[in-house]
Formats: sequence, C-alpha cells, structure tokens
Amino acid sequence: MSAALAVLIASAEDEPSAERDDYFRDHVEPLLKKRCYACHSHASELMEGGLSLDWRSGWEKGGGRGPAIVPGDPDASLLIRAVRYTDPELKMPDDPLSNEEVAILERWVKEGAYDPRAVLPSADAAQISTDWWSLRPLVRPAVPDTAATNPIDAFIRNRLELEGLQPSQRADRRTLIRRLTIDLHGLLPTPEETLSFVNDASPDAYGALVDRLLASPRYGERWARHWLDTIHFADSHGFEHDVFRPHAWRYRDYVIDSLNRDTPWDRFIREQLAVDVFYPQEFTLVPALGFLGAGTYDHSAAITAPMSFENLDRDDMVTQTIAAFVSTTANCARCHAHKFDPISQEDYYALQAVFAGIGKGDIPFDADPEVGAQRSRWNALKSAADSRQSEILSQPENQELVAQYERQRGEFAGWQPLTIETFVSTHGQTLQRQEDGSFLASGTAPEKDVTSVTASIDTHRITAIRLDVLSDDSLPMKGAGRANNGNLHLSEFEIRTFRADSQQGERIAIARATADFDQDGWTILHAIDGNDATAWGIHPQVGLSHFAVFELEKPLVQEPGVTLHLLMKQIHGGSHLIGRFRLSATDGPADLLFALPADADAILAKSREQRTEVEQITLSAAILKQKADIELRQLPEQQKVYAAGAVAQNERGVVRFDTPREIHMLTRGDIERPGVVIPPGTISAIDQLPSRFELPEPHAESARRAALAVWISDSTNPLTWRSIANRVWHYHFGRGLCDTPNDFGRMGGTPSHPELLDWLACEFREQGGSLKFLHRLICMSETYQQTSDCPAELWEADPENVLLARMSRRRMDAESFRDSVLLASGRIDFTMGGPGIANFSSRPGAQLTPYLNYDDFDWDGPGAGRRSIYRVVWRGIPDPLFDALDFPDLGLLAPKRGFSASPLQALTLLNNRFVLHQAEQMASRAQAAQPMLDDQVRVAVHWVWQRDPTDDEQTQLRELAGRQGLEAVCRLLLNSNEFLFVD
Amino acid sequence: MIDQNLSRRKILQQAGAGFGSIALSQWLAGEWLAGSDREPALNGGMHHPAKVKRVIQLFMNGGASPMDTFDYKPELERLHGQMLGPKVKPEGFTGPAGSVMKSPFSFAQHGESGRWVSSVFPHQASIVDELAFLMAMTTKTNVHGPASYMMNTGFMLPGFPCLGAWVSYALGSLSENLPTFIVLPDSRGLPYNQKGNFSVGFLPARHQGTVVDASANPPIPDLVADKKFAFADGQADQETQSLLLEFNRRHAERHPEDSQLEARIVSGELAAKMQLSAPEAFDLTRESETTHAAYGLDKPETQDFGSRCLLARRLIERGTRFVQVWSGPQGAVNNWDNHGSIEKELPPIAMNVDQPTTALFHDLKSRGLLEDTLLIWTTEFGRTPFAQGSVGRDHNRGTYVTWLAGAGVKKGVAHGQSDDLGYQTAEGRTFCYDLHATILHLLGIDHERLTFRTSGIDRRITDVHGHVVHEILA
Repeated sequence: MSAALAVLIASAEDEPSAERDDYFRDHVEPLLKKRCYACHSHASELMEGGLSLDWRSGWEKGGGRGPAIVPGDPDASLLIRAVRYTDPELKMPDDPLSNEEVAILERWVKEGAYDPRAVLPSADAAQISTDWWSLRPLVRPAVPDTAATNPIDAFIRNRLELEGLQPSQRADRRTLIRRLTIDLHGLLPTPEETLSFVNDASPDAYGALVDRLLASPRYGERWARHWLDTIHFADSHGFEHDVFRPHAWRYRDYVIDSLNRDTPWDRFIREQLAVDVFYPQEFTLVPALGFLGAGTYDHSAAITAPMSFENLDRDDMVTQTIAAFVSTTANCARCHAHKFDPISQEDYYALQAVFAGIGKGDIPFDADPEVGAQRSRWNALKSAADSRQSEILSQPENQELVAQYERQRGEFAGWQPLTIETFVSTHGQTLQRQEDGSFLASGTAPEKDVTSVTASIDTHRITAIRLDVLSDDSLPMKGAGRANNGNLHLSEFEIRTFRADSQQGERIAIARATADFDQDGWTILHAIDGNDATAWGIHPQVGLSHFAVFELEKPLVQEPGVTLHLLMKQIHGGSHLIGRFRLSATDGPADLLFALPADADAILAKSREQRTEVEQITLSAAILKQKADIELRQLPEQQKVYAAGAVAQNERGVVRFDTPREIHMLTRGDIERPGVVIPPGTISAIDQLPSRFELPEPHAESARRAALAVWISDSTNPLTWRSIANRVWHYHFGRGLCDTPNDFGRMGGTPSHPELLDWLACEFREQGGSLKFLHRLICMSETYQQTSDCPAELWEADPENVLLARMSRRRMDAESFRDSVLLASGRIDFTMGGPGIANFSSRPGAQLTPYLNYDDFDWDGPGAGRRSIYRVVWRGIPDPLFDALDFPDLGLLAPKRGFSASPLQALTLLNNRFVLHQAEQMASRAQAAQPMLDDQVRVAVHWVWQRDPTDDEQTQLRELAGRQGLEAVCRLLLNSNEFLFVD
Repeated sequence: MIDQNLSRRKILQQAGAGFGSIALSQWLAGEWLAGSDREPALNGGMHHPAKVKRVIQLFMNGGASPMDTFDYKPELERLHGQMLGPKVKPEGFTGPAGSVMKSPFSFAQHGESGRWVSSVFPHQASIVDELAFLMAMTTKTNVHGPASYMMNTGFMLPGFPCLGAWVSYALGSLSENLPTFIVLPDSRGLPYNQKGNFSVGFLPARHQGTVVDASANPPIPDLVADKKFAFADGQADQETQSLLLEFNRRHAERHPEDSQLEARIVSGELAAKMQLSAPEAFDLTRESETTHAAYGLDKPETQDFGSRCLLARRLIERGTRFVQVWSGPQGAVNNWDNHGSIEKELPPIAMNVDQPTTALFHDLKSRGLLEDTLLIWTTEFGRTPFAQGSVGRDHNRGTYVTWLAGAGVKKGVAHGQSDDLGYQTAEGRTFCYDLHATILHLLGIDHERLTFRTSGIDRRITDVHGHVVHEILA
C-alpha cells in the first residue's frame, strides 16, 4: 500500500535514458571538458596521441594505443588507468584528477560509458561559433571573368573549368519546351505549343516562351504547391481526429495569387506572419495568416492534455516558420541547446513566446474590400464609443449621425401599450393588472416562473416590443425584481404568433435586444441567446425602473385571427422574478428603437444647447454605439480562413487567448520542469540583428509576430535571402546549391557554389525580391538550357550532377503527372480558386474522422478535371495515386520531394482508376480528332511525347490498338518513362 | 533523396561494385539483394547476425487494460472503492480519476511459469509458457494520437516513419512476389491517426506500408485493373505491359547511365510477378477446414481478426517481411478504449483476438516459422486502476503490457513490474524505444546505427533513447 501511494505521489516522469544522460551531461562531460579537452579535442591545436575525447567515436577508436575505454570495464580502460596515476607508463593529465573526479569517470565507464555525442563536434554547444557560411553577412561576390553573359553561367563554368569539365550543349527545342512547361507550369506543353516554339525563328523565341509561361496563372498554381509542401499545409488536422478544415483553401488561393502577382518576398513574409499589423486595411490579404495554421492539430490532446498540446502546437509553428523562412532547425533546441548550431534553448523558447498568444482555427475576414472598409469604420466607431474617445465621437461626421438620430427620433410616434388578453404565471404567482396597464406580481414568490401573456395585435404592424420592468413599493428593495436584493433575471424572452385554428405557434425572430441598463455579465442579449442558463439582470441598479427593447427580424403584420404570445422565462432560481412589468409595441423605424441608457435618455430630453460637453459625449457614445451595431449587423457575413489567432474558431468552439501564455524555459523540454520566463525573441546567431524584441508592456500578441517578421524580412538577414534563392534553385534543377533547403546549419549541406548562391541572393534582394525575376534569370541561363544527355565520363566524374555540366533528368512529381494526364485526355479544367475538390467519396466515421474512398469517385463529375493544387489534401488519409508518386507525408515539413520506384508504384500507375479512366478519355479524344486508327495513335503519342512516333513505335502501337483497343495504347503511353521523365 | 544516400553509395562504390547496379539496388530497396543471399553470415542482419527475419505485430488499438488481462493486481480488491487517484486531472485523462476499481474478471495462474491471466484470455492463457512479457511498458502521453505514434514511430508527432517502414528500409524484401510491409487494419475501420501509424515519413516512398483490405478483391490495391476496364484486363494487360517494358527499355538504352529509368523497368517486371503470385497468397480458401476452425473463421466474433492472422501467416511464409494486424478501429466502440464499462466492453474485443492470436502462435510454431519469426502483441498505453464513471477505465500512460514470442525470445518469462495498483511502473520499466531497439536487435540491426538524415538530423526510430531488453532474449 505504501509503495502504491508513494508511486501515486511521485508523478515525475523521466526520459527513459534521462538518468544516464543526465549523469553524462552533468558530471562526465564537464569533467572531460575541463581536464582533457585542452589536449584531446578537435578544438585543441594538436590532438595528443591522436586521441580525441570530445565525441564517442574518439575514445572508441582511441589513439596510438587503441581504444581508450572498454565500456563496463574500468580496469581494462586506458583512460581510467591514466587518470588513476597507478601505471608508471601512463599518467594523465599532468595535473592529476581528484579522487572524486576519478570516481566519476570510473562509475561512468563501469556503467557502460554511455556517450550521446555521436557526431564529430564542431565546438561546444554554448559557444558554437556564428562563423558559418549561412550566417555570414551577405555580400555580393564578384562575377568571375568569363565569356558567359549570364552571371549564373560565369559561376558554373568557372567551377567546371577548375574541375576540368565542359558544359553540355543546349538541349533541342522540344526538350526545352517540355522542361520549361513542366518546371514553370507543372504541365506538359500541347503539341501546338511545341510546334510553334520548335518553328519559331525569332532570335528571342526562348525568352518569349519563358515570359509567356511566367505571365500565365498556371505558374502560381504550380509553384504554390512547392511552398505548401515546405510549410506542411494540408486541408485536415492529422492526428487522432483528422478533422477537415473547410476554410483552409483560402490560404492556398492566397499563395497562388501572391505568386502570380509576384509579391515581393519580404512583403510575402510580413503578410504571412502579421498581415493584421502591417497591412490592416488590406482585408482581402487576411488569408495570408493561413500560414500560421498550416500544420497539424491534435484535437484530442487539445481537450484532454492542453499544456502538452499547446507546447507542441507552438513547437509546430516555430519549426515551420524558422525552417521555411531561414532554413534553420531551431526546434533542435527544445530540450537542450542546439548541438551543432549557435541556437540556445533561450532562443528557442523566445520563438515559442512569439506564438504564445494564438491558437489554430478559423478567423474571419472580408473578401470584399468595400465591406471590409465599412466593417472597419463601424468597428472603430463602436470601440471609440465603448471607451468614450471624445476626439473621435466629436468628429463632425459622427456628430452628424447623432443629430440625424435625434431628428428622426423626434418624429417617432412612440410606444403603444399592448392590449393584454390573458396572463398566466405557471408557478402560481398572483399577477394583477394595474391602472397604468402594467402587471404586479404578489403572493408567494416561487423559485422560478414562466410568465405567459397573450395580446391582440392592434396596430397595423409591429417592428419592436418593449418590456418595462417597474419599481414598486411592494417589492423587495422596491424592485423591479422579487429577489431579496430587488434583482430579477430574465432567462429568455420569446415571441410567437398563434392563429385561431392552430395549436402550433410560429416563433418570431428577434434581431436585436437593447436595455437601458445591463448588470455586469447579465446583459439583455442573454435573454435572446436561446440559453436558459444565462439571463438579463439589473443589479445593482435596483429600486429603479428599467426597460428593454426587442427588435423583430421582420415587421409583424396584423392579420385577422392572429394573436401575439409572449413568454418570459425567469428560471434562474432564487426568486429572481419580474415584480412589475408593462409591455408595449411600436411600428417605428428599427434604427431608432433601441433602448438608451437612463443617463443618455435624460440628456436626450435636453436641447443641444442645454447640454454640457461631457453630456454630449455621453449621449453620442450611447447613440453611436448602437448606430455602429446596427450598421455592422447589416453587413454581409464574413468569410473565414483556417489560420491562427488570439481568437479563432474550430470544431471545438472558440479558442481565445486574452493574453499570451507565459513561456518558460523547459528543462529537457519537459512541461513539468519549467524554468525562467522567456520573453519573445528569435535566434541570436545573426550578429547584426537584435534577437530579443523590445516590446512595450502591455503589447498585443500581434506585435510579437510583427517583430519576428521584421527580423526575418530584414534586408541584412543573410539566412532569409540565401534560403529563398536556394529553394528556387532547388526546384529548377532538382537539387539546391545547398542540398538541404530547410537546414543551413552544420548538419545540413554546404553549398556547392557558395559565391553563386550569395550572388543570386543579393541579386534577388536588390531586384525587389521578385521571384519572377529570379526564375527568368535562372531559366535564361545556358546552364539551365543544357541537355540532360550524359556521356559515361561525365557520369563517372559527377554522378549527382553537383557541378551542373548537364541538366538532370527528373521524373514528374505527383501533381505534374496527374495534371499532364488530364491535359492528354482532354479532361483538364482550368477553373481557378475556390473550395477544394474532394476526389474521393466519404461517409461519416466512428468519431470525427470520416471514411474516405479514393476508388469511389466520379471522374466525369464537376470539378474532377481541376488541377491537382485544388485537391483536398487529407493529411492522414492520402490519395494512393499521390502516395505512389512520392507525395510527402505532411505531418512534417517537406522541402524536397523524393524519387522512388517500386512494384507497387508500377501497379498503381497501371491500374489506378484515375489512370484507366483517363486512358479511356484520351482514346475517345483521339478518335474524335482523327478518323483513322493510324492517326489516332499518332496524335495520342504527340500528347504525351510531343513528337512523332518512330516507324517501329507506330507499327507496334498500331498493332496493340488493333487487338486491344486504342485505350490500351493510351494506358501504355501514360505509363511510359518517356512521358513520366523530363529530360 | 539521391544525395541523402550519397555516403552509403560512396562506401559501396569503394567496395568495388559498379555504380549502376548499386544505385539500382538502392532504389529498389535491395528487393532481393539485401536478404539472405548477399550476407549469408548475417542471416539478413545489417550489423550482427539476425535471429529474426520477419515480424508479425498484433496491435490492440485503444489501450488494452493491463489489470484486466495480464497484470493481476490483488491490491485492487482490497482498496476497491477508495479515492486514491490524483486529485488534479492529469494531462490526457479524459475525466477526473474515480475510486480504485478492482477487475471484474477472475484471474488464475497458468503454465509452469505461473503467469496470471484473467478470464478474458482463456486461449492465450494456454501459451504463457511460450511468451516473454514486458510487464512495465510506459509512454509519454495519455492521448491516443501521440501515443499511437509513439508505439509505431517512436515520436509523439506525425510525419515519422513507422517500424515496418524502417525495417523495409534496413533490410528490404525477402520476396519479389509480395510487398515488404503489409498492414491489415480492422475491417471496421482504421485506427487512431488513420494511415499516419503506417507512414513512411521521410523515408523513400517505396517503404510505405501496403494497407490491405483483407476482404477486398484484389487485396493489394491496384494489383489488377477493375474489370470494367476490359482493355486493362487479362490478355490485353499482358500485351500492354510487355510492350511497355519494351518501350521503356528502348528509352533507357538511349540514356544508359540513368539508373532511375532502369529502376522503373525492374519495378515493372516485379509488379508483373506480384500480379501472378499475390492472389494465391491472399486466398484463404486454400487452407484446410481445420485451420479455418483453429483461427475461428467459422465464428462471427473471431472471423475478422482470425482471417487477418491467418493471412499474416501466409504472407510472411511467402516472403513479406513485416505484417501488422490491427484489432479495433478508432472510435468509442469495438476497440480497446473501454471508458464506459470494462465488464461490458472488454470481453467482446478480447474474444475477437484471443483464439486467433493463440492459433497464429501454434500455427507459426508447428510450421517451423517461429524459428525466424517474431510475434508481438501490443497496444498504445494502459488504463487507470481508478474508475472512470463507475465501471470504466481512463487512459493511463503509466504502465501497460506487451508480449513477444518467437525467434531469439525467452519463453515463459516476464520483465518489469508495475506498482501495486498497476498505475505506474515499479521496476524494469521499458519504453517504446526499448521495444523497438529489441525488435531491431533481433533483426540484426543496431538501432543506433539505423539512421536517415533529414532536416539536419540523423533520425532513428529510437530518437536518442533505447536499450535492448536483454532480459527477455534467449
């Protein structure tokens, strides 16, 4: 029993190897550093005896005498013998260790010499140098002096010359248009486009082609997916409950549109991180914030394990932002300082603090800028009224609104008492009609009551109903309620009409309710929210009369035999009942009917001249608040985008961060071991840019995101510009100049052509961050236009094509394959934008995740031919066709696509229903285009290979078509390597 | 991806082989190369001789209750009804902890080893002397999604490769005729995380688990064309594929240096072989009536899991290296997530698996397959010794049970122990890292050396953790 209790009490959870890791980190490593590294580490000038003790392999291999440590056996370990000072041949170090220090090493070796230092050390984690290629200031290198006119070629050829290699010749025109169209559009060229380019005699035919392709909206559709991969964007949560995000597509469209408009890169960064701060009036750009919501969401953990959830959700945003924009693995510093790069745990948690005030979900915006401007104006006015900003309230245009209201209200006829026919208290209060037409409750005060009243509709029409709750000497504290303190709680106020011949009432919708006074937290809106648990109250202004106005959604028109039925639920309990009430109605105009607070009402009775300035502001605030409210209510509903915000809505309800979470440094990344509080900031490895944001307190959370955006988009941030220049290069050539696009740290690759990368980064930055400029620069280079044919010697010399003495042959990615198949079959649909196309059927699942069936889909249905970028990407239930073609798992960032070949891929391409259906469509298209089978085969070949078949090919395909149908030929063509690969 | 394999490739190059064949073997995951032929001394192992060549993993989705199955806790009877649980709801509990709840099932000792097993597992009780139990497994989260990721991929986050994908990456296939890694989900639906649990993560796509609907025809998706496409069926299919190969070869001859093209061609040839042999592998009617009865195919409660266990045996017999068989879909019913009532919800799901699991064990043994096959029974976490509501149990990462059997595993042993309530581990605690390290060890792989470089990190399934649990190894 005591053991059980002890376990219950001690709930601390260690990492499985935490103990030995702790022991190593806390005792062994510091000791080695202090006493051994001076001579036995890579940082030491000369490694004595060839022995290094600064990583595991160092002592495993050992120095001249062999391995320094035999794990588990201190006596047999040279290191232990040396520090014990008992072996006359071997005494280390010169200044002997203390007995305690020797004991530490002995224990460590005895317990197996656990050593997590698996990689060649560059330097100590805390003192890792910022002197690293990617962190050095970006300075434009001189272009090598060669015959080349395009600087890219100058850099590439200069290097080739050094390596003794020759560039390859220019590819033929068919190859070039195929390469360019796939690269820039993700589609093959049509036979017409191919023919026209091949026969174009003008000297700038190629440049014109590049320009045409870049100007086409197909470009944004192609390149958007690269960015979406990089930031692991998908249309569903992933995790246990893989919930669909119906508004995520707005961000996808934003990316396509931004690329097509060639938004400058630094602006693109600012928009995605904090468009709400930088461009608050550009309402249509709000979907940019979809960037923040691109990643996964663990619905279940968010509910049951909120602390862990928030920690990992912030981690997701930090990892994504820093990897995508500055190619840095900040997330490696979550549990300990980055082992290879100059990133401290403080840096990491400073980045977490940037995202500590937002949660993922839908945020609203106005896709119509006019509506957005209106909303912005009225919201500003409302908040000015709330905070009584006299400067704004007294502006002439606002005072004109006040005056207008006063004029109209003056013309308003006023309220007519309702003719009450029946009145019932369902819980036995005595209700007595008073001379003034009001009703007074008396007798036993029940805990709760529902008062039901019917009235005739006397006026021609009703636009609003007014409820007065009146003070009375007979009531506790003079009322107007019957609770001991004079309060009342109106839980719900419901209006119905009844026809004489019907038992069923018709509910009349209430558009708005206002009251002259609202108890704090118990406003009149609670009486129309459909929730019996909330109510309107009047405390502490008891002993006074109050009133509320209920405006109807649509005017109620008098009809014979129709009566009005009003229900007043007072079911809070504690006898929070209405003591005395009066009901009246009006047909006045809606925007005049609202209840003004009592003080404002009193001011209104005075003429403008009699009022003090303060009174005028009080009145204006009351009127303008309501005016703004009415205007806002009349605006069309807002659109939504799945993003992250201080207030966001998802399937769990509203996610709200009133203030950002306090971010603590976590020992070993463990939420149960919080350390000091860390303010917002970023990595401190860029010497010239401040890494901690000096934000005034208090500040909005958005200020943190904005500060990070400023840091990233700074023209002197060397990571930012190198990162994007390298990404663009990567997609054009299939390999980045640095081949780890998300990691420019010491575990990543080093650039094959560092000067070229820097030159491109500088050129890109100085050309205003124009991606289209960079594309053109690259595509126009002779390097890009080389043939991919590769003589054996060249393959021998450079199999990975790092030096670019040729172009690399690449298989189409999944999207290009699917879209090119649709183009060949004639079924492609170039409609742009809008909600995603679900190319599967679905039915509800056991919980929140539905069942998806990718085989059951109407390939001729609406939207079936839309481009792949418009597909619904379900994170946890991927499309098998895309899976087979190396579409990435978007649980993680995917800066590169893989290449794989497998029997299962071969089967998918042969037999997937999409491919087979399109083979049929392609055959029909060929048959419609040409009467003769021979010509049908020929056009089909043109659609996939952009060339004439050879005689042999023609014969063989013709024979296959003759025996098995033209569809079989189309299926073959869509599976052919010549179709799938781009030279 | 090409560059990520560069170092390995360079090493192989230095070993004297020509470039083309090496690159090819990489893209094909050494389909037939990495197995026993190439390194007979290692029995297919990568770093040391392997005891195990293939693995069947049975995964109880939802968190199988330890104290109602294998982890007998008499103390629960004594403390039944007392409020001893945490006062503050721990992260990941779906509700506050109730009072201590004894198991509604009777326990008895079985076999020479005297293992306690509850009445929900009468069949498995008969084989306890053949099994090695990890009685104190523990994990980092009380939430299904991340916990399932942990047990499958070693990480709480999505996007990481699962064990089957790692094994495929390390060892490749044993057969040209079948996929290397096959997943057999419950016919009632996918588990928590959907296909995320079988993800290939950042490993090359060819190591992806092939998710097989055992009742579908064809069982391997897209093995053959839907019959409505006559031009892709039978003779037409053969003629098309054969001409396709010829065209692709001709195309490759123009670019002899490019092994990507060759990889596609060889894949096509292997696909054709798979089309011929897979239907036989998936055809359970070839098994005797006795076998059907042994696996419970004749009873509705065991038919689904039994069919998939039998299929798993047929697949590994024919060269599939890793088969994962799931019990229970995601959701509130029909799985091991027994929040509402242990007494009502556990017996039916336990009955689904008990006889088939035991039959699979006997079948593997009698056919000699257990000589180089590992069988694993596991789940993502345990359940609380405290009642949820009045008769259910909540999620508990504290302690849970896994068992292993087969090649290289001790028989009739148990390692680790939970505390008296079965709430936390008391000794011999093991994490998913240790389980994965042990499985890889048996396959001849040093878990610390099976890595893949991505985003600046040499990733392992065991992250920076993992000990081989030698205590259960023969």
